[in-house]
Amino acid sequence: MRSPSYLPCTLLGRRRLEGVEPAALGPEGLWLCRGTPALEMSNAREKKHAKKMRNQPTNVTLSSGFGAVDERGVKHHNGNEKSFQYQKQESHSGAPQHQQPKSTHVPSEPCMNEQPCKSQCRGEKGKGQAGWRGGHQGAAREIPKYITASTFAQARAAEVNAMLKAVTQKSSNSLVFQTLPRHMRRRAMSHNVKRLPRRLREIAQKEAEKTEHQKKEHSKNKCRKARRCHLNLLLEFNRRQKKNVWLETHIWHAKRFHMVKKWGYCLGESPTVKSYRASYRAMTKHCLLQDLSYYCCLELNGKEEEILKALARMCSIDTGLTFAAVHCLSGKRQGSLVLYRADKYPEEMLGPITFIWKPEGGTSTTPVNRKLWLWTHPTLKQDILTELKLVCQCVQPPEAAASIPEVVLTPHEEKSHIKQTENCKKRKRESDGEKNTNPVKKIVGDGTRNPFQPYSWTSSTTGIVVSDFTMEMNRYRLIGPLSHSILTEALKTASVYTEVEDAETVPHSWWVEACKNPDSVSVHHRQEAFFELLGGIASPAEFPAGTVLGLTVGDPRVNLPQKKAKALPSLEKCQDNEKVRQLRLEGVPVECAHSFIWNQDICKSVTENKISEKELNQMRSELMVPGSQLNLGHRESKIPILLIQQPGKVTGEDRLGWGSGWDVLLPKGWGMAFWIPFIYRGARVGGLKEALIHSRYKGAPSIPDDFPDCPAGILFAREQENNLLEKYKRHPPAKRPNYVKHGTLSPFRCPWGQLTRDWESRITTRAESLVSPSCSWANVKSDPGREDLCVVEDEQESKLSCEAETLKDKPGEPEEMMDTDSPGAAVAGDTTGEGVCGNDSGGTKGTFCVLRSRKLLKLLAAWCHPVARRNRVAIQASRMYQQQELTRATCLPILRDYPRSLVWVSLSLLKKGNPELHTMICIPSKDDILLLNEDRLYGGPQESRHSDPFKAKARKQKEKKTEKEQKQGGQHCAIVCAEGTPGLWPGSLPDITGHCSRTLLGFVTQGDFSLAAGCGEALGFVSLTGLLEMLLSQPADKRGLVLLRTPASLQYRFARIIIDI
Amino acid sequence: MVRFKHRYLLCELVSEDPRCRACLEERVLFGLVRDAIARVHGAFGAAACAVAFTVKYLNAYTGVVLLRCRKEFYQLLWSALPFITYLENKGQRYACFFNTLHVGGTIRTCQKFLIQYNRRQLLILLHNCPDGEERESIKKSVMSCSLEEPQEDQLSGGGSEEDATEME
Repeated sequence: MRSPSYLPCTLLGRRRLEGVEPAALGPEGLWLCRGTPALEMSNAREKKHAKKMRNQPTNVTLSSGFGAVDERGVKHHNGNEKSFQYQKQESHSGAPQHQQPKSTHVPSEPCMNEQPCKSQCRGEKGKGQAGWRGGHQGAAREIPKYITASTFAQARAAEVNAMLKAVTQKSSNSLVFQTLPRHMRRRAMSHNVKRLPRRLREIAQKEAEKTEHQKKEHSKNKCRKARRCHLNLLLEFNRRQKKNVWLETHIWHAKRFHMVKKWGYCLGESPTVKSYRASYRAMTKHCLLQDLSYYCCLELNGKEEEILKALARMCSIDTGLTFAAVHCLSGKRQGSLVLYRADKYPEEMLGPITFIWKPEGGTSTTPVNRKLWLWTHPTLKQDILTELKLVCQCVQPPEAAASIPEVVLTPHEEKSHIKQTENCKKRKRESDGEKNTNPVKKIVGDGTRNPFQPYSWTSSTTGIVVSDFTMEMNRYRLIGPLSHSILTEALKTASVYTEVEDAETVPHSWWVEACKNPDSVSVHHRQEAFFELLGGIASPAEFPAGTVLGLTVGDPRVNLPQKKAKALPSLEKCQDNEKVRQLRLEGVPVECAHSFIWNQDICKSVTENKISEKELNQMRSELMVPGSQLNLGHRESKIPILLIQQPGKVTGEDRLGWGSGWDVLLPKGWGMAFWIPFIYRGARVGGLKEALIHSRYKGAPSIPDDFPDCPAGILFAREQENNLLEKYKRHPPAKRPNYVKHGTLSPFRCPWGQLTRDWESRITTRAESLVSPSCSWANVKSDPGREDLCVVEDEQESKLSCEAETLKDKPGEPEEMMDTDSPGAAVAGDTTGEGVCGNDSGGTKGTFCVLRSRKLLKLLAAWCHPVARRNRVAIQASRMYQQQELTRATCLPILRDYPRSLVWVSLSLLKKGNPELHTMICIPSKDDILLLNEDRLYGGPQESRHSDPFKAKARKQKEKKTEKEQKQGGQHCAIVCAEGTPGLWPGSLPDITGHCSRTLLGFVTQGDFSLAAGCGEALGFVSLTGLLEMLLSQPADKRGLVLLRTPASLQYRFARIIIDI
Repeated sequence: MVRFKHRYLLCELVSEDPRCRACLEERVLFGLVRDAIARVHGAFGAAACAVAFTVKYLNAYTGVVLLRCRKEFYQLLWSALPFITYLENKGQRYACFFNTLHVGGTIRTCQKFLIQYNRRQLLILLHNCPDGEERESIKKSVMSCSLEEPQEDQLSGGGSEEDATEME
């Protein structure tokens, strides 16, 4: 026997001897056990590492002995694709059967003729494998003394295979082309396999397939072209409108605005372009356009007296003009008021509305049915509607024959309609006309209405019909001085048919009918004349508030300008006209307020007979002179519209009339036809955010944010709190303000209920202490800031208490203050008795109300003025209303009547400061005012930092917990950790008015830097009780000074309180 | 690219006694080499080589071992290897020595070299094997590890022998 000399002699050894177990292993067996990566690695890293190392060979040792193992009856399932079974030849060895693993690509060679040899070899291999595996079972035997050439060769071959695998197969997490050196990479390699070198293509192919598979399956089964085809698009849009109502301008908005789903509608929040200042400028100097079609219209139809009688229960003469106001009742003006639940006046507010009466037709001698439209915000609609039904005693859906079958029919109708559209693909959405728009609107409803519910209710006793006209009309709002020049340019009054034709031949039969009537023709001409006059007026603010002008206009798409251009008023045209002067003084006369939009049938026919955009374009392309004016003749639609003047800022002293404009009411279906012409005349479009800014600059409360006493307002506050809390929690504790340390008890909501309650209890305790002066001292001492309230107390006492306060302020420990306050609060609870206990939840309705009595507000407004200024303004007021002087005696009846009331105030900062949402309004101490007197540039006091007892508590508990766990070995400890997020006050709030060094008066609900005033301005509510106390305590020339502090700041800023009526 | 540069020593354990292979374990080998370096190069050498020294791969059946060391000090390791004369494990002691096959910069080059080396070994074995039965089995294993490459391998084997570092 020759042994190859170049090999290590011992390894080569000799040929196999009988009876000696060879140390041969199957090639697979060698590599079966894969090494485990380091155990301490984290899971993801471990996985990554394992993936990287999966092709790398691992160590192979003859660990824990090796040798012949008796493994009878033990089967090894290696789970490979092919298995060969070989009979054992050696009697002494291993398992009878072996499932032969992978070494299967043995080519059938002609020289492989010796069957016994082969089987022997296999057997050895199998045995070796068995021995290898048996080694793990601890059955160690002796080491073989010799090895054969074949085992030697097998071992080498196995190693070569392993190394080949390691070398050829990509093991890293990178892609194939990343293994190439940089100079060989090409641009398109990542997606085009053919760019790769040929040797890598196969692997790359596999890889590409895998990644493609991993990609999310495309849900769209149609190609883009098919998806964008009109019919499919329409179906898709209809599907998407099912949950939230789309306005008619939705597509236009969706391309340009951030859309939000709110109140069951899809509304534009704000434009995607930067436009904060631009939209402000548009409101002041140009024109801002808004789509307010989501506002809901409720119609009341019935006898005037009946309606008035019913509605009188829902509003109060205290809050201003009601439905019965003369101007409004004639239909000449739009009115606005606040509705309450029937006979509940100061409490249970429902929400603010605007309303228009339909002008009486001609002779008013006979009591005819009159119509009243109430426009409400969608959040308020449901409450108001139910209350209206209750008040008007409309219980059952009356037109059972009329309304219900129609509604039931609609789904069926819709189905047939879809079939129809499938058949004739050319139809367009708008011109699907009589069926499409109607059923779609009805099926979709307004999101708050069940399609199978009736939308009209009648009363058998009063004869009033209440109908829900949601989404039946479009309402656009134009804000700004240029709004009526836009209107006059964009709209052209309809031409009157002079020659009488057959009504059947013309599509707009209603207009033909109207033209036959000389009365309506004359009204139309007068309306036209007034509309012409509009162009000569500089600003809509010059009109009386709420002027209503009815019109019938032609199709605005016809005279669309070629290019977008800004419409400017042509003032010189009718500057010195007598008529213009009259118009400014008296507004539009009653006759001109008439519009055909009140007639539902006409609206319906107008919607149906709209010429589609496509047809219009077709006609345009067929014009003889391209680009010339299109003359539709009698085919041109006549659209009845209603223009309503919106008063801008009506309260306060400066910027009166700011933000005034026009509201345009259109029949449905015509939204886009009017929208685009307005924009082509230079109107800028705003969303909900711009509406909020508008109402803030106007100083008007926005709906529903600033109506905390109506259900929608409560809901809104809750949602807002959740949103803000979520946002707060997203920051780590180190990157967000610790509101406990800032002394801010409720940074995300305004606890109005608790505020009013705390103020009430303060007053009652003080009153008690006055009655029994012996015990008063303790109370005064216990409560910092209370000395502010006590005017009656003599000088000495107040000084002492002032000292007490300063002493108190320094440590500023909330817990102590809570403790000292609690007895007083308890006393208050006992004395006030009713309701206090039930109000623990806070914010439930009925606990507080917003003061809306105009008389009282006027009184307060006068009191809020410092004396120096009051000379000028308020003396007339005092003359008019027999102004009472501000004394405790005059205050007492107010406090008795309105124990828990809030007052809507506007605040303007004296110097620095930028108020935000939920900024706290506080009462300045005497020292603050003294300091302000001395130094005009005094910025304001600072709140001392509070301690955060909860943090320490939480830490202690945590320590305890860990200790306990260590002791008890992982047992759950019963102590509940201080729940709630760190940095916020957990649990119920302590006395919020006295929590900080300055007594809390109220909260800001809207606030920002005002571009109009050039300083920070805010709107908010303060407690009436607190306000009166503050005013009583302040010197006359500094009345109405308050301090503002944002939730995340310790700095107070001076501001002046103004109550605008 | 900034990285730590290593040198990988591909070595072969040669022993008279086949039982020696049973003792070949990673831990044992690691201690053995470390001790050898300490013996030869002292504390400095041991410390210098201990940085990033590992046994990357080990095959008891073929006796192939892959050691890693920092590039700066691999000469110390390399020069210490001949002084390993025995392998000791579990009280047993077998005479052996290390035969350095290749010194490479990456594991990959070492693996490539090992493939070629093993193939060459197998082919030579096949050439020299007179016995029919044995020859068949060797042939089979050769075929199992390389289907069509033997010829190519032979060709390239000559070339790569030059760049392969010296064998003892």
